[in-house]
Amino acid sequence: MTALLTIENLGKRFGGFIALDGIGLTVNTGERVGLIGPNGSGKSTLVNCISGTLANETGTVHFDGAPMNGLTAHQRTRAGLARSFQLPRPFATLTVAENLQVPLLYTVNARAGTHLSAAEIDARCAELLVLVGLADKAGEHPRDLTQVEMRKLELARALAADPKLLIADEAMAGLSHSEVVDIVALLIRLNERGITIILIEHIMRAVMKFSQRLIVLVSGKKIADGMPDAVIRDPAVERAYIGQ
Amino acid sequence: MRSSIVFFLICAVIGAVVFGIARLIDNDYLFFAGYVVLQYIVLATAWNILGGYTGYVNFGSAAFFALGAYASVFLYKIYPPLPIPALILIGAVISGIVGLGMGYLTLRLRGAFFAIATLALAVVLQTLITNWTYLGGARGAYVIRPIDVPLIGPYMQYLCLLMLGLVVIALTVARSIERSRLGLGFAAIRDDELAAEASGVPTLKLKLIATTISGAIMGMAGAPFPYYLGYVQPQSAFAFDYAVNSIAMPMIGGTTSWVGPLIGAILLGSLQQVANVTPLAQVNLLIVGLLIVDCVIIAPNGILGLVQRRRTARPFAADPAVFALLFAVNVIPIYFLHELELSQRTLEVIFWAILIFLAFARGRLVGHPWLVALPIAAAVLGVVPGPSWLWLVAAFALTVALVLGLALRPGAPEPLAQGKAR
Repeated sequence: MTALLTIENLGKRFGGFIALDGIGLTVNTGERVGLIGPNGSGKSTLVNCISGTLANETGTVHFDGAPMNGLTAHQRTRAGLARSFQLPRPFATLTVAENLQVPLLYTVNARAGTHLSAAEIDARCAELLVLVGLADKAGEHPRDLTQVEMRKLELARALAADPKLLIADEAMAGLSHSEVVDIVALLIRLNERGITIILIEHIMRAVMKFSQRLIVLVSGKKIADGMPDAVIRDPAVERAYIGQ
Repeated sequence: MRSSIVFFLICAVIGAVVFGIARLIDNDYLFFAGYVVLQYIVLATAWNILGGYTGYVNFGSAAFFALGAYASVFLYKIYPPLPIPALILIGAVISGIVGLGMGYLTLRLRGAFFAIATLALAVVLQTLITNWTYLGGARGAYVIRPIDVPLIGPYMQYLCLLMLGLVVIALTVARSIERSRLGLGFAAIRDDELAAEASGVPTLKLKLIATTISGAIMGMAGAPFPYYLGYVQPQSAFAFDYAVNSIAMPMIGGTTSWVGPLIGAILLGSLQQVANVTPLAQVNLLIVGLLIVDCVIIAPNGILGLVQRRRTARPFAADPAVFALLFAVNVIPIYFLHELELSQRTLEVIFWAILIFLAFARGRLVGHPWLVALPIAAAVLGVVPGPSWLWLVAAFALTVALVLGLALRPGAPEPLAQGKAR
């Protein structure tokens, strides 16, 4: 197995608050990794540093063999690193289908050697909407969607960029049991198609079902990294979640 | 691409027809006033490319406009016989470059901060021009223009024709942007810049493209300006009117489409021109201001928004206080205009229409659609010539409409529900 994402000694601080403190981790091609940690442990900051929304102060991020430091968020997306947002951030004045056209036109078509025609883009949109179960909502605006549908749209938009690595930031918060099962099944299906996925989630049932490997962040530090069953029995992890 | 060419040709034909009709009417003032309206269509469309499509509010429209104007003055001073189309091109290049530079310096700012930065640019440029004696400084600069032009005739008509050409160009550019990949990227930036960037949109680059195009078109609009009056001074070229109008017009028309600025500029621009020559000069500002207030309350998403989704928008008439206030203030200009001769009261029609619309909306909401009959009756009585007491009847009808609109409430709860509750 080859390493798709390698992070070394990643550090980020906001004023006097150290959000990330020397994080190092590797994600291999084709892997399903769960990333958990209590609120405020730095999960989202880590995602932001990987995807280029925030600039890290120390350390390096390598993706697909290339250094990512200094690249803007859109350059990283074009390199194959897509993310969904914790709170859905749809393009409100565009229809659901147009929301997906943005990454198709600006990421997929911006890559060397690919040029989708208008018909191919429409076909891709339709295919993605079927995949996430929004096929009948293509012409609607995000304000008419439910919270679940909004999260599905968020995932679909990240997928439209045709990523090698998908970082799903709390894609299931606030969803019902059956909806969580749906999304986990969807993510596993995507993984089987060859997309490496990092899932950030609080719902342990989903994380345990999904993850082949589990990474735990606490106060900006990585405290555990390994097989899910072993990790959740780790005394340090138990201490972080339950207290002593 | 092909649809843009077709659109361009259609616009050009419409422009030619408008110009032909204007020539048939053969009124010099029509061209004099029409030029200003056309200029505002160009400015509003240009503003909308940055402000409406990408959501960055530019308060410095006057700066780009004046840059185009003063570029013409500069060229006139060093090499007089340059034709105006060439000046327009040069004005576009200069304003476009300044737009690019301004964008690069300020586009890291968002919201109000960006607006303030653009305002600062206008102030800095105005100070610069005011102190640049070669360009006339505070005294202003004179440009001697020919009396007429071969083939076309009076010079004013030639300027109008050029401005009509700029309108066609500006509208075509705006419409093609809207329907292209670029337009989708702009819309993504407007809706959520962070998500746009995460979807692969190079936001900084796109915003720079927007400021450059927007600035260039504003510069084009300004380039013929010195030839309009033959005189230009910093206060008129940098007039705050340009900044305010180029924002107000797209807002009134609707900012998401090229049609919005066109509608807004034609409406507000011609209204200002008509109001300018209405005998009650003091009422002009009141009329224009009131209509802007009406637009903001009745159509917060512009006239386009009003037309497109009338049903989903929250009805403004739902709040009786808003209805009453709007109704009352719209009667004021009618009262003033009523002093004049019937032929000088054309603007009155607009306010009667608004009153009728208000009563219609409120009446439909409270379940008494006949409410609309009162202002219609008042309008008829107010306009027909006759004894002066007719006007009293009209005023009475309006008062009744106001009171009923305020007093009547949407249908009371069903008696059945009350019984159940008990």
